[in-house]
Amino acid sequence: MSLSPRRTENRTPPAAPDSPETAAIFCRGLSKQYGEVRALDGLDLAVPRGSVFGFLGRNGAGKTTTMRLLAGLAFPSAGRAWIDGMETTSANRLARSRFGYLPQSPAFYNWMTAREYLDYVGRIQEISPDARRRQIDELLELSGLKEASRRKVGGFSGGMLQRLGIAQALIGNPPVLLLDEPTSSLDPAGRYEVLEMITRISGSRTVFFSSHILNDIERVCDSLAVLHKGRLLLVSGVEALLAQYPVDAVELELDPAGGEMESGAAAAFTAALRDIPWVASVKTEGRLIRVMVKNVPDGKRGLLPLIAKLGLTVNRYEWIRPSLEDIFLQMSS
Amino acid sequence: MEGQTGMLTILYGASVLLMILVPVILAAGLRRISSAPWLLFGIGSGTFVLSQVVHLPLNQWLADLGLLPGTVAADVPIVQTALIAGLTAGLCEELARAGGYALLRKLRPAWMRLQDAVMLGLGHGGIESMIFGGVLTAATVSSLLPLIGADLGGFGLTPDQRTNLQAQLDSLAANPWNSAYPLLERLIAISAHVVFSLMVWKAFTGAGLRRNWFYIPLAILYHAGVDFAAVYGMQYLKDQTLLFELSFVGMLVPGYVWAAYQIRLARKSVALADPISDTAPQSSIRSELAVYRTAVGKELVQLWRTKRILVTGAVFLVFGMGSPLIAKAIPDIFKSVEGMEQFAALIPVPSAVDAMDQYLKNLSQFGFLLAVLLAMGTVAGEKEHGVAPMILSKPMPRWAFIAGKFTAQSVMYLACFVLSGAGAWYYTSILFGPLEPAAYLLVNVLLLIWMLTFVALAVLGSTLGKTTVSAGGIGIILSVILMLSGSIPRFGILFPQGLLAWAGQAAHTAAGQAASAVSTALAGQVFVNGGALASAVVLIVISLILSVGFFEQQEL
Repeated sequence: MSLSPRRTENRTPPAAPDSPETAAIFCRGLSKQYGEVRALDGLDLAVPRGSVFGFLGRNGAGKTTTMRLLAGLAFPSAGRAWIDGMETTSANRLARSRFGYLPQSPAFYNWMTAREYLDYVGRIQEISPDARRRQIDELLELSGLKEASRRKVGGFSGGMLQRLGIAQALIGNPPVLLLDEPTSSLDPAGRYEVLEMITRISGSRTVFFSSHILNDIERVCDSLAVLHKGRLLLVSGVEALLAQYPVDAVELELDPAGGEMESGAAAAFTAALRDIPWVASVKTEGRLIRVMVKNVPDGKRGLLPLIAKLGLTVNRYEWIRPSLEDIFLQMSS
Repeated sequence: MEGQTGMLTILYGASVLLMILVPVILAAGLRRISSAPWLLFGIGSGTFVLSQVVHLPLNQWLADLGLLPGTVAADVPIVQTALIAGLTAGLCEELARAGGYALLRKLRPAWMRLQDAVMLGLGHGGIESMIFGGVLTAATVSSLLPLIGADLGGFGLTPDQRTNLQAQLDSLAANPWNSAYPLLERLIAISAHVVFSLMVWKAFTGAGLRRNWFYIPLAILYHAGVDFAAVYGMQYLKDQTLLFELSFVGMLVPGYVWAAYQIRLARKSVALADPISDTAPQSSIRSELAVYRTAVGKELVQLWRTKRILVTGAVFLVFGMGSPLIAKAIPDIFKSVEGMEQFAALIPVPSAVDAMDQYLKNLSQFGFLLAVLLAMGTVAGEKEHGVAPMILSKPMPRWAFIAGKFTAQSVMYLACFVLSGAGAWYYTSILFGPLEPAAYLLVNVLLLIWMLTFVALAVLGSTLGKTTVSAGGIGIILSVILMLSGSIPRFGILFPQGLLAWAGQAAHTAAGQAASAVSTALAGQVFVNGGALASAVVLIVISLILSVGFFEQQEL
């Protein structure tokens, strides 16, 4: 397990579009007021076509509100939004065939089977019977639900429901997918399955993916926007954002055979680090220790001698860039 | 004679149905070319109903003062009647409309566009067409039709009253195509309401009331003027209905021209301000109907899979088969209970009439509860469970979502009535002898329509409620109000509860104990209650429009 997950593929984000016609998603002054609370405050956003776009924010930042506004399920207090060139905030029914939407907690008719549900969604999209059958077969295969396709949805696990949710969003092959926190309620295995599925379905399609789990965003997205208290803080390519931040952290992985965890040597090491002036912060997770430094040359000179002095057995010693989590916490604090 | 009555029934039936449906069709047409919300149709209907809450008692008060014709003064000059009636109509309706706009401007300023004003006008004129056109025409014609060719001598009428009634019957029978005139008049009235609505809207837009206030008195005067001309002109053009209607249109021509100019102005300003929306393609009606059929299919499968059809069908079958059996067994039940034997002799020998009475009693007592219980979760449940946002983020129109549910429930109750009807028919035939088929069919059709009014109200409750429980509560409250409405003095008979009395008459006819139109009238009842039938259809239509209107405004 790594504190710094890596995307399976480095992707360069497409250039930022500047109009509803050229953008996959375009928001202009999108706002939502609930009584005294301004859940979304003048969101101006242009998501490039073909990108896997992470929409990052803490709980309550306004991510789900934005998703519901984009999907036409909530109505803006001000501003407008377009998906694939069609306005979705004007209740135009045709705009709803331009995107597939997966809410945070997808719900289905429990009396239907997975195949029946997908067929119903296909009928709503007026897909011809042959094309519908073909698409459903492909999507059941893609979502790993082929075996369970004739089982009632009521008996599905959380991961299966999320995968069925993504499959139903893909019916009709929409150019844009809106996925609202698709991994937040899943166990690690379920998360892995869903992220794998998102990686597979991206490509020419735009995936707009909201999450507060930074590892997931870092793993699958090429661009991201950070939302905080209803306001847009930042829009950037993931690589470009990380590149802005210097390599100022070192990650150590202790060898379990060394017994430092049991003997207390690891605890003594972290305590000693916290007293050193050039150390900014220390985080531990199991056998992993991450040290952020204020002064990189001092750190490079001082850290190894300290490890040697305490006699720690180290499997890995690596200077790394900060994770999105570090950057996000820094920005939103 | 029967052929003529049949022809008149069909033509007036079509005219009444169109008076109810044309406003909805016009509003649907407006929705296709603009984004005016359906809820505004409901709000427009509300302003009409509110205006009548003041208008009708006001006219009654003026009649009591002798200023309008009534019991105090029968011979009020026609000029005075036309003037006062026109002014009260203009004042009450245009001020109610102005109140509506004032509220809208405060609560929903986004709904102050020209298309919204047209929708409000359609709602206001639409409900007027449904009630004053559809329900009253249906009530009048249905009460007159059975009297055509009947001997009016048995009614106990004065000679004058008999002459008047005969004249009405002769006029009704003279030309079946006269049935088109009430419809034509309502269509013109709807267009007038759109013009008046735009005039009052104009007072609230642009520079606002401070500069445009004069549009309100202008609308009142124009409305009063048109009504004055209609009442006054009637005495000269009494026998030339078409000419009368054309003169009505003539009065409205300046209004049409002004409204067309306003529409042109608004279109220009929208195109300048928002070229993107102006060019956005809209979905076709054929496509929306295809999705509606899909929704109906899904609802029917759901009713089947969740076993609701089976349970409801079984309940109806038990009611159908059980009613004649209970009617037959009641004397035996009394005989078998110790101490009650002496009462058994007092009970008349059961007949098919008792079987039919029992059938009606069973279905009317439990029917509305079943309707509410089965429909209460239909929308609220899907909102609560979270399926509704999944489905409505697809190209499923919200109207199709609501209408699909109502249609599927209607099909279910139709099937249930076939079961109960067949059961009651079979056992009544075995135990008491055959029933008259046409009258028996009418009983079941009337009961079905009566029940569908409760289904429509329950769907409205389910749309308004956030949870299934609250939806059920709203549905039951609306149903109780509907049932109580049947007891309103003078007007109660025009509410859907009147269908039960009509079904009772038809049930007795089916059982071979037919009453004549004259004897029914003498008993103070209605032989054929077209008013109740039309009001049931109006209630279903308005409930569904309100459901769609509210649902469109709900965030999911």
